[in-house]
Amino acid sequence: MQDALPPKLVCKGLNVSVRQELSRLWPRPLGANRRMITIRGVHKDFSIDGAKVTALSPTDLDVRRGEFVSIIGPSGCGKSTLLRILAGLETASGGSIDVDDGDRARQRVGFVFQEPVLLPWLSALENVRFPLDTARVARTEADSRALDLLKLVGLTGFEAALPRALSGGMRQRVSIARALSYDPSLLLMDEPFGALDLITRDRLNDELLSIWSQTKKTILFVTHSVEEAAYLSDRVVVMSPRPGRIKTVYDVNLPRPRGERTKLDPAFHQLMADLRRDLQ
Amino acid sequence: MTIASILIALRSLAIAVAIWWIVVLVANVPAYLLPAPDAIASRFVFLAQTAELTKHIRVTLGEIGAGFILGGFLGVAFGWLFVRVPLLGRLLSPLILVLQTAPKIAIAPLLLLWLGLDMGPKITLIAIVTFFPVMAGAAAGFAAVERPYQDLGTLLHLNAWQRFRRIELPFSLPPIFAGLRIASTQAVTAAVIGELMGATYGLGYLLSLGQENGDASVVIVAILVLSTIGWGFHELIRAGERHILSWHASQIGLEARV
Repeated sequence: MQDALPPKLVCKGLNVSVRQELSRLWPRPLGANRRMITIRGVHKDFSIDGAKVTALSPTDLDVRRGEFVSIIGPSGCGKSTLLRILAGLETASGGSIDVDDGDRARQRVGFVFQEPVLLPWLSALENVRFPLDTARVARTEADSRALDLLKLVGLTGFEAALPRALSGGMRQRVSIARALSYDPSLLLMDEPFGALDLITRDRLNDELLSIWSQTKKTILFVTHSVEEAAYLSDRVVVMSPRPGRIKTVYDVNLPRPRGERTKLDPAFHQLMADLRRDLQ
Repeated sequence: MTIASILIALRSLAIAVAIWWIVVLVANVPAYLLPAPDAIASRFVFLAQTAELTKHIRVTLGEIGAGFILGGFLGVAFGWLFVRVPLLGRLLSPLILVLQTAPKIAIAPLLLLWLGLDMGPKITLIAIVTFFPVMAGAAAGFAAVERPYQDLGTLLHLNAWQRFRRIELPFSLPPIFAGLRIASTQAVTAAVIGELMGATYGLGYLLSLGQENGDASVVIVAILVLSTIGWGFHELIRAGERHILSWHASQIGLEARV
């Protein structure tokens, strides 16, 4: 194993070494700092009317186990493409992805879409249980896990509600609980709160951090929001469009747990300013 | 259906029967053209007692049931195939267009020639008229399953059957039911046409028997039984739709609209 390698970032021949954090105020779970995802030269091209279009130019990225990494960038920078390739929803035109998932071969990855993508004829509980039902997990076990997860996302009492009876924020919580139901070690989130109002979004950001610290998942989080990226992440990957590529990677050294105090921290505002400038 | 709406329907029915009766009495209409309601009722009782009527009803119902299930099943299966295998859709769509524009009823004599006077040709005809609206609805439904839901199936490693059964079919049920409802009325018509052209039993056969014997009351009894079957069949499908699609927006507030 190539443990404790300094995370390295290569884009378009440019080598950017990212300083490894020596101390963290937030205790990391066991096995933290072990590299979990190794992305090397992954790119995506497709052709429109015979013309080659590059959605993602060759990209290198490493993600450590238990890390919270945000990917931010304007539309068309390939951030969603990268996430979808990782999830197996799209195939890369080349490059390699290595996900070290221990002995859990053929593990299903957790994925949260921008829309909740709930099945409208199933109750909240049945939606959370859906991945377990299709994997033929015993009903009693599936039920108890789904109930725990609904509790984790703060939806106790809404088990029997159909999606149409839930608010946008609640639906997205059900969606998160569903993605966690089969206990994936990697959770990919594609602008999960992009369609929600700001108040709901702030609350869900805090809940996501609490879920992350309780479940110790590795999270890759695609967003349009500078504040969201800075507030949530251990690292922020800034991408730029045409062709989509990684521009800069920021370490976020804000203390955890994060909360209202983080939002008053000058370092937080400095980071947001840096990110904004980078996105210009 | 609420008790109040049944009462309203019964009242309308009673008024219609009363007008009929009055017209027959006042205008002195000959019985071989339009018998009075009481003559129809006694003919109905007579036919029912000789057990001939139940046999006719059983045959017609059996044909409708078998043909409808066969046509509905094939309609859903082909609707799915045409969406999932676009090449097949492109190859077969001209053929289907020709079949769909031809009056299906016109096939009936051919079916009788090929399959005889038994239930076979009627079941086939009913299956054909059921197939088209169900297939059209199913294809529209399957084509409209949104991309993220297909992605969900991929993420969860669902196999083709699970995708169909757990995601695609439930999403497509509203247009499939719309097709089934259209098909339900056509199925009854197809059964009658098939039986009129040649049969030994069935309500369509009863119609032609009444005509041959110059007995309008037999014809009217058959018509009334047929319309009751058509209505009951349609209601059965509506009830199934309401039950299965209770989650769907089309079913909300439906009771208020009557």
